Amino acid sequence: MAELTYLQAISDGLREEMRRDESVFCLGEDIGAFGGAFKVTDGFIEEFGPERVLDTPLAEGAIIGTAIGAAIEGLRPVCEMQFADFISCGFDQLVNVAAKMHYRQGIAVPMVVRLPSGGGFSGGPFHSQNPEAWFLQAPGLKVVAPATAADAKGLLVSAIRDPNPVCFMEHKGLYRHVRGEVPEGEHTVPIGEARVAREGEEMSVIAYGSSVHLALQAAEELGESIEVLDLRTLCPLDREAILSSARKTGKVLVAHEATRSCAVGAEVAAIIAEEAFEDLDAPVRRLTAPDVPIPFSPSLEQAVLPQLDDMKEACRELLAY
Amino acid sequence: MSSSPTEAGGGGEGRAASAAATLVSVLMPQMGVSVAEGTITEWRKRPGDWVEADETICDVTTDKIDVEIPAPAAGRVERILVDAGQTVPVGTALAEIDSAARPGEAHPDEHGEETKERAPAPDSADAVAAEGEVDRSGFFSPVVRRIAAEHGVDLAAVRGTGVGGRVRKKDVLAYIADGGAEAPGRPEPVLHMESPYQRAQEAERAPKAAPAPAGDGAAAPPAAAEGRREPMSPMRQQIARHMVESRRTAAHCTTIVEVDLSRVAARRAELREPLARRGVKLTYLAFVAVAAVEALERHPRLNASVAGDEIVYHDDVNLGIAVALDDGLIVPVIRQAQRLSLEGMAAAIADVAERARAKRLEPDDVHGGTFTITNPGQFGAVLATPIINQPQVAILDLEAVVKRPVVVAGPGGEDAIAIRPMTYLCMSWDHRALDGADAARFLGAIKRRLESWS
Repeated sequence: MAELTYLQAISDGLREEMRRDESVFCLGEDIGAFGGAFKVTDGFIEEFGPERVLDTPLAEGAIIGTAIGAAIEGLRPVCEMQFADFISCGFDQLVNVAAKMHYRQGIAVPMVVRLPSGGGFSGGPFHSQNPEAWFLQAPGLKVVAPATAADAKGLLVSAIRDPNPVCFMEHKGLYRHVRGEVPEGEHTVPIGEARVAREGEEMSVIAYGSSVHLALQAAEELGESIEVLDLRTLCPLDREAILSSARKTGKVLVAHEATRSCAVGAEVAAIIAEEAFEDLDAPVRRLTAPDVPIPFSPSLEQAVLPQLDDMKEACRELLAY
Repeated sequence: MSSSPTEAGGGGEGRAASAAATLVSVLMPQMGVSVAEGTITEWRKRPGDWVEADETICDVTTDKIDVEIPAPAAGRVERILVDAGQTVPVGTALAEIDSAARPGEAHPDEHGEETKERAPAPDSADAVAAEGEVDRSGFFSPVVRRIAAEHGVDLAAVRGTGVGGRVRKKDVLAYIADGGAEAPGRPEPVLHMESPYQRAQEAERAPKAAPAPAGDGAAAPPAAAEGRREPMSPMRQQIARHMVESRRTAAHCTTIVEVDLSRVAARRAELREPLARRGVKLTYLAFVAVAAVEALERHPRLNASVAGDEIVYHDDVNLGIAVALDDGLIVPVIRQAQRLSLEGMAAAIADVAERARAKRLEPDDVHGGTFTITNPGQFGAVLATPIINQPQVAILDLEAVVKRPVVVAGPGGEDAIAIRPMTYLCMSWDHRALDGADAARFLGAIKRRLESWS
């Protein structure tokens, strides 16, 4: 075991897969000579050469399209969006071509799109979004969103080996702030399995990505028996884990940094309402960003993104209910 | 406003605007000739609600049927005069509608905060509701309701520690853990005076009040509160009352004949298609009904009612057909059934059954029967001893038609075994009004008619 940052764990997983399997290659803007905007692929071009670490033009449609072609031909491309926000330029290729290829023609498209997402550093509306819910409306895509270093590596490896197109949501705020023990060598985390990050009896916080850490810290500081379920995979959702936690505590707060409407939290709340109604002791609540773009101004951004105090307040309210 | 809490319906101020109120009364309607009174089952509107003309304002049940009462005028419900559950005579005013009110005016209940604060607060010293908090002591979440139902807990007795005094899951669990479900002072309702469980429970409870003599600590029997309780629907209550009443009133006997339905089956096969084209579904029941009606005309002792020390013989055969509903049954009546052909009978049975299931029977549809047929055989039962529909003197039960080997006369008159569609006709009859020979003769007539159907 080595203690790595979340970012190092992603690098580690990608490097190991590229070493293990020659069909794995990566492509994106400034990922080669520059080592990537966030340095995830620092040193990759030296080790694997420009054939497997492709610097591309600023054209996300071309990146995704090229990856689809390569995947169909038997390679395993890993695309980097410099910022998750930019995926909108490659959206048609992703949701209409990659996602539906298997349904239309029975052809697997084993590719990964890495999406550095999330705010908290005054990146403003084009560099801070959490667009995961966009992909939940495109059946055929899988979506993962690790919260820990170990899961970042394990889920990236699983995503690369998965025969479907997988959106890999990596939260920029976690890159250097979250570190943890990461198994060296082969390490996979199954797609579709949530993880109980903290056991509790009184209420559940169901979260993913950066909100998992907020929830854990809030639970610790409140000193209450709060269960924290880290979804890890957003599509397909681990319904059993969601329902089992909801049935156990009867009170659920769903938390994410993404905006509120029609997002993961809404879906989780709906699943609970449909299947665990008789076990509920309180309304299912959500803690999310409001339905607004992320402001540049640091104080405004703080007001928009859920903060630790918001998490604690939401937990207190539900505990008292 | 005065300092004393006002009654539902709002204070005087709320009504100032309707000083010139034009009040229209909602009356308990006359539902068919035989209905004298009705029971309100549910109010769909509360005082202060807006109601459109002809919109259902409440539901009423009678001993015959359930009906929806339409509002006689559009307006605001001023007052409800008869609470749900009360039984009142036809013509009684049930509610008043202010027909001069305009839609959109403030609802008395909408002066919410004021009224809520005036609502009597729980007196108990340990009431948890803090100042200004909405009282949630009467709200029970799904999981709390489920746990309470599973353990037979009266939630009113559980102290809530949630916001506004709400009973939380852990409150009800703690209550059960403390033995609250069997707490003294809330005895289980006595199911039966001689119930051994009741005595045992009392014995178990006694030591809590006073030290028990040694040796009385026998193993406690399981609590009797398991299972789910729900109130009987008005229909269920009616059926319960009528059935027990009939058992108590009539001297029930049941006579059974076995009938070979080969000829009926053959005729049914012939007629089924042409009748279906005319929209009529031909069932065995229609044949039996026709045969029974013909037999009733020749055996008037069966087409009768008991009225005190007299027996009333009826001129018409008003044939009751029992129709199973989701929870209960109803017996609509086919009037002057002696006038109906086989096709007419089949159509009439389908009509009343359909209207019964759609809850669209009129009160007069279920009144005045002189003889009843019940037909639960579709579920495969072969024998039953039905209870007479009072004040009639007999009820005929048609059960499943089953193929059986029977002994028949062969071509040369010798005995032979054949496979025939057979059924039992079971008839319960009132020994006060007739005797076994009457019943047997009557059933014999039906049997002969069915076995020689052409």
